Amino acid sequence: MIIEAHELRKTFVVGRGRGKAREIEAVRGIDMEVERGEVFAVLGPNGAGKTTTVRMLATFTQPTAGQARVNGYDVVKEAGKVRASIGYVGQLGGVDEMTPAIENLMLAGRLAGMSKKQAKARAEELMAAFALTEIGNRPARTLSGGQKRRFAIAVGLVTAPPLIFLDEPTTGLDPQNRANLWEEVRKLRDQGTSVLLTTHYLDEADALCDRLVIVDHGKVVVEGTPEALKKEVAGDIVTVRLADGPAEGLEQARLLLTAEPYVREVVQEDELLRAYLDDGERGLPSVLRALDRDGLAIQSITLERATLDDVFLKHTGRSLRDAA
Amino acid sequence: MFKHATLILGYEVRGLLRNPIWPLFGIVQPVLYLVFFAPLLGSTVPGGSDSAVLAMLTPGMMLMIALFGSMFAGFSIMNDTRNGVLERLIVSQIWRPAIVLGRVLKDALALVIQAALIIAISMAMGLRVGALQALLMLALMAMTGLLAGSLSYGLAINIRDENAMSQIVQFMAMPLTLIAGLFLPVSLGPEWLQSVAKFNPLYYAVEAGRSLFRGDLGASTIPMAFALFTALCVLTVTWSVRSLRKLAG
Ligand SMILES: Nc1ncnc2c1ncn2[C@@H]1O[C@H](COP(=O)(O)OP(=O)(O)O)[C@@H](O)[C@H]1O
Ligand SMILES: [Mg+2]
Repeated sequence: MIIEAHELRKTFVVGRGRGKAREIEAVRGIDMEVERGEVFAVLGPNGAGKTTTVRMLATFTQPTAGQARVNGYDVVKEAGKVRASIGYVGQLGGVDEMTPAIENLMLAGRLAGMSKKQAKARAEELMAAFALTEIGNRPARTLSGGQKRRFAIAVGLVTAPPLIFLDEPTTGLDPQNRANLWEEVRKLRDQGTSVLLTTHYLDEADALCDRLVIVDHGKVVVEGTPEALKKEVAGDIVTVRLADGPAEGLEQARLLLTAEPYVREVVQEDELLRAYLDDGERGLPSVLRALDRDGLAIQSITLERATLDDVFLKHTGRSLRDAA
Repeated sequence: MFKHATLILGYEVRGLLRNPIWPLFGIVQPVLYLVFFAPLLGSTVPGGSDSAVLAMLTPGMMLMIALFGSMFAGFSIMNDTRNGVLERLIVSQIWRPAIVLGRVLKDALALVIQAALIIAISMAMGLRVGALQALLMLALMAMTGLLAGSLSYGLAINIRDENAMSQIVQFMAMPLTLIAGLFLPVSLGPEWLQSVAKFNPLYYAVEAGRSLFRGDLGASTIPMAFALFTALCVLTVTWSVRSLRKLAG
């Protein structure tokens, strides 16, 4: 186990000394276990407590309560050993804008105890791996968003740590750069590095991770592999919009579909009904027939595979897209 | 441990060398004072010779750069609190005090170079001062820079707001310089001013500097200033290093 966290909590006190101190429960008891060599995602909307969780695991923030061990070391009592075991790429990037990439890479190596020569060799190796060689001598502020992000990750990898934290690694990147970064994360896994990444993109967690936790309001909502989580919700989802909107029709349709044996669950979301089915291709004609039988006119109907958003919706009652 | 401070120092100095123009601006003002203000002081200084006037004014001007060069140093770390650079360093294997020490040492180094230029210019204008005295003065000035610099970094890490920071720095710098007798010895002023000055660390540095430049190596003001500044530096560096914890909330 590279990460074991138990009942991890963080309560921030803000506005202290100005009379009206206010407590913010950023993380309210998180448990998680990450296997060695695994790509593990923490998925959740903005403000869910992802960054705070990662910061506690990386020894930046002290937990208010709970325990965590990283690479076998306690994050509070053995913070030094934890730091020697991790690479940390924060949400803010941590790129010194005024300085060339190579300077940052060299400094990171030297601080970890490398000689000048070793640090230089490692910096060059990483710049080659991340396609930064050509631009390694330019001040970071002149680099593009994607280049900066690659450079931040390279700095986190200087010590070849067994575990790297990537906090929202693709936020703000265009699709091309996101795809490139996903490739880099897959390469890391192939090399045996454990990765803990946070994201508020469903497709990212789905595409990249072996296992994930979904967090909301500082708590783990559900944990598992993407496949298992989606399967648990349903195989497919049929979304129905009725032609003449009024609420009674929608309610009638909901009761009707709920009563159908092949429908697992029906959830109403604004003007839409979402019916969870194990086998959508076979179920769809029956859904159409059932609605027709009761004289409910359909405006549109769609069939989709379940996504992690459906998992999130099922467990929190909100769509991740709205929550974010 | 200290190796980490020298690594940060090296990193910062290379940064400075990529942009070596700005520190030169810092010495323009004191040089203007030496050129245009010193001649006005002839009648106020016993003896009144060029050398005596310069011996009185030069230490004050050096300490002025030390103060103003360092009080604003904190602004440079403010960005690093926001762009995650400090966050990254804090969870690296660095010896934490090196984060602050490396920076204040860089600032002190820049100060010493500026001050050496001031001494050279002052000597060209007629100042006569021994090598040992000049070196001691540079050391004292470096310590003033260390004190003001670590104070400034600590403030920046705690406040993290450029506007508030510049208000506070202005608020502190003005009385500190006025009540230290940077331009004219406080001893020329009334009793009450002399009493107030005793609460200003900078006053002791200026007095020690004048003793040095008068060639009075035995003056008690000198060990007094060094002891005071060592103690205060330990306090401010410790404080600013501890403040790094606040970044985590
Ligand atoms: N240093 C801090 N001081 C006070 N509140 C904080 C601090 N960091 C985070 N928070 C609050 O904690 C909650 C969780 O934030 P965060 O962990 O950044 O969430 P996420 O990374 O999932 O967007 C938010 O309400 C945020 O405002
Ligand atoms: Mg975050």
